Amino acid sequence: MTEAEERQKWVDLNMGPQHPSTHGVLRLKVKLDGEIVKELEPVIGYLHRNAEKICELDYYCDSIIYFDRMDYVAAMNMEVGYLEAAEKLLGIPPPERVQWIRVIMAELSRVASHLVWTGAFGLDLGMLTPFFYAFIEREKILKIFTEVSGSRQEVNYMSIGGVYQDFNEKIVQEINEFCDQFPKKLEDMYDLFTKNDIFISRNKGIGVLPKEVALDYAVTGPMLRASGVPYDVRKAEPYLVYDKVNFDIPVSQKGDNLARFLVRFEEMRQSIKIVKQAISKLPEGPFFNPKAKKSLMIRLRGEGDVYARTESSKGELGVYIVGDGSVKPYRLRVRSPTLRNLSVLRYLAKDQMIADVVAISGTIDLVFGEVDR
Amino acid sequence: MNVLLRLANFFSPLTHYIAYILAYFFETLFMLIFITISLVAVIYIFRKYMARLQVRRGPNRVGKFGIFQMIADMMKLVQKESILPKKRDDLPYKVAPVVVMLGLFLGFALMPYGSFYYIGSLTVTHSSVSLVLLIAVIAIMPIGEILAGISSHNKYAMVGALRAVAKDVSFEVPMMITILALVMMASGQTSSPLNIDSIASSSRAFIAYGLVQPIGLGVFMISMIARASYSPFDLGESDSELVSGHSTEYTGMRFGIFYVGLFGSIFLGSMMVSTLYLGAYNGPFSGDVGFIYLVIKTWILVLISFTIWLSMPRIRIDKFVNFGWKYLLPASVINLILAGILTLGWSL
Repeated sequence: MTEAEERQKWVDLNMGPQHPSTHGVLRLKVKLDGEIVKELEPVIGYLHRNAEKICELDYYCDSIIYFDRMDYVAAMNMEVGYLEAAEKLLGIPPPERVQWIRVIMAELSRVASHLVWTGAFGLDLGMLTPFFYAFIEREKILKIFTEVSGSRQEVNYMSIGGVYQDFNEKIVQEINEFCDQFPKKLEDMYDLFTKNDIFISRNKGIGVLPKEVALDYAVTGPMLRASGVPYDVRKAEPYLVYDKVNFDIPVSQKGDNLARFLVRFEEMRQSIKIVKQAISKLPEGPFFNPKAKKSLMIRLRGEGDVYARTESSKGELGVYIVGDGSVKPYRLRVRSPTLRNLSVLRYLAKDQMIADVVAISGTIDLVFGEVDR
Repeated sequence: MNVLLRLANFFSPLTHYIAYILAYFFETLFMLIFITISLVAVIYIFRKYMARLQVRRGPNRVGKFGIFQMIADMMKLVQKESILPKKRDDLPYKVAPVVVMLGLFLGFALMPYGSFYYIGSLTVTHSSVSLVLLIAVIAIMPIGEILAGISSHNKYAMVGALRAVAKDVSFEVPMMITILALVMMASGQTSSPLNIDSIASSSRAFIAYGLVQPIGLGVFMISMIARASYSPFDLGESDSELVSGHSTEYTGMRFGIFYVGLFGSIFLGSMMVSTLYLGAYNGPFSGDVGFIYLVIKTWILVLISFTIWLSMPRIRIDKFVNFGWKYLLPASVINLILAGILTLGWSL
C-alpha cells in the first residue's frame, strides 16, 4: 500500500498535550477509522523536570520536596516512598509514633488522590456534578494537611526519621470528624455513579485488561487488583505498621473500567478503616528520631544501595538510592507506577471507540508529574 | 384581538400599508426582545442552578447576585479578536452561526404564545400549517452545526459534525412519527390539526395531549434533548473527546452564538413540549393569562432539562444510534397505533 492510500484509510488525530480530556500533558497520537481507534501511541515527557537528577545534587533531607512534586495529588504517599528508602540507607528508623502518623497521612492522601480520580473520571464521561462533590471532600483532607504541615498539596510534612510536627488534639479531632462524616458522602457519590444506567453501560466490559497482560506490562495498584491479582505492597511486604492494622485489599476478576472504578471506591472505604484504627492505636512517644535532629540533618551520610517499595495510590512505587558515603545520594531512581500503567493503554485502546479510549485513559489515573518526573 | 391588529390600529393615521408594515416590524421587535431576555435568563438561571447543584455560589460579582454577568460575558465575547482558521471554507464558516440563529428565531416566531390580559393574543405568526413549518424550521439548526464542523477543516470539528448527522438521523424519524400521532389525535378535536395554535387551544378538551399519549411525550422530550444536544446526548460537542466538536475553531461572538444557540434550543424545545403535549397556554384558572401558564410550564421543563444535563454521563454515539432505532422508533410506532385506536374510539 502506498502512503497516499494509507492516508486515505485513516485519519491521524493528535490528542493533546493541550486537550481537555487528557489528564495533564499526555499526548496521544491516534489513528482513527471513523470513530474506531486503530492505533494509539502515547507521547510523554512534556512535564519532565529532571527530578531524579536534582535529588542527586541535594542533601538527603532536601529531596522530599521533589517527591511532593512528582505525584502532586498524593504527596504524602510519595514522601513515605522516599523515606522508606532513605531511612533504610541512612540507618535512621522512625519511632513508633511516627510510623503510625505516616500511615494515617498516607491513607488520607490515598483517599484524596482517589477522590480527584473519581471527579476527573466523571468529567471524562461527561458528568459535571460529581467532580464538585469529590473535591469538597478532598478539600477537607487538604485542610487537615494544612493543619499539620502548613501547605495544601506540596506538603513537605515528613522528614528523615520523623515528621515536621506532632499531632495535637485539634488534628486528631479533625481527622476523627472527617472519618465520621466521609463514609456517608462516599456512599452518596457511589450511588450517583453506579445507579446510573448510562454510566454502567459506558464502563461494563469496556477496556478489559486480562490478568496475563497486566502482569506482562508490570501494571500495579488498583488496575492490577481490578484484573484479579491480589497484590498490594501493604500486604505482600508490609512497611511502616501496615501489618498491625486490619484491612482488606479489594480484588475484582472482571478487569474492565467498572472493576477499576469499584476497586478504587472500595479502597477508599478500606483507607478510612485504616485511619480509624491508626488514630485509636496512636502511641505516645517522640515524633522524630534523635539521630536526625534538624542540626544534624545535612550531615547524614549513607553508603550502599537500597531499594524500597511502597504502595502509592497509583500502584507500586519503588525508590532506588545508591549512596557513596557522601552527604548526597550518588544515584536516585524512581519506579513510577503510573508510567507502567500508562504503557498498557496502547493495548487497551486498540479497536475501541474514541469515547471509550478517553474513559479508559481516565481509569488509569494518570498524574503526569509522576510519569515524567 | 391580537398584537398585530392593535399595533395596526395604533398606526392607522398613516396609510394602511405603512401601518401594517410598522405593526409587523414592532411585533417582531417585541418577540426578539422577549427571546433575548429569555435566553439571558436561561443562561443565568442555568449557571445559578448548576452552582446550587454543585454546592457553589455561581456568578455573584457583576451586579446584585451576578444578574449582569451575561451582559458582561457578551461584552467580553464581542471584544475578543475573531481568530479565523487559515484553511477554512470562508462562506460556510461565516454563515454557520447565522444559520443556527436563524433556525432558532424562526422556531420562536412560529410558537403560539397565548394571550396576556388586555394586550390580547401574543402569537406572532398565523399560518394554517404552522406545525409543518415549525418542523421544517427546527431542522435548520443542525445544518448550521454541520456547516460549521465541515468548513473549519479541523478533525475534531469534522468528527463532531459526523456525529451530529448520525444523531439527527436517529432521533428525527421517531420525532416525526410522534408528531404524526399528535396530529392524528388533534384532527378529531379541531378542523385544522396542522396549526399549532389550534392544537394548543384544542388541548383544553383533553386537558393535555401528554396525558393521553405518555409514550409520545417521552419520545418527544428525548428528541428535544437530543436536538438541543446537551448531556446525555451532547455527542456533537462532547468536550472530553472532541474538544468542543463543531465549534472548536470558533472564537469571539461566533462562538457566543453557538453557545446561545444551545440554550435557545433548550428553551425552544421546552416550549415545544409544553405547547404540544402539556396543554400549552391552558391552565386551571380561566382568564387571559395563557402566556404566563406557557412560561411557567416552559421553565419547569427547562429546569428538568438542566437537572438531566448535570447528572447524566454522556452516552456513546453507537449506543445512541441503537437507542434511536431500536427503542425510540418502535415506541413511537406503538404510540401512533395507540393514538389511532384512541382517536377512532373518541369519534365513535
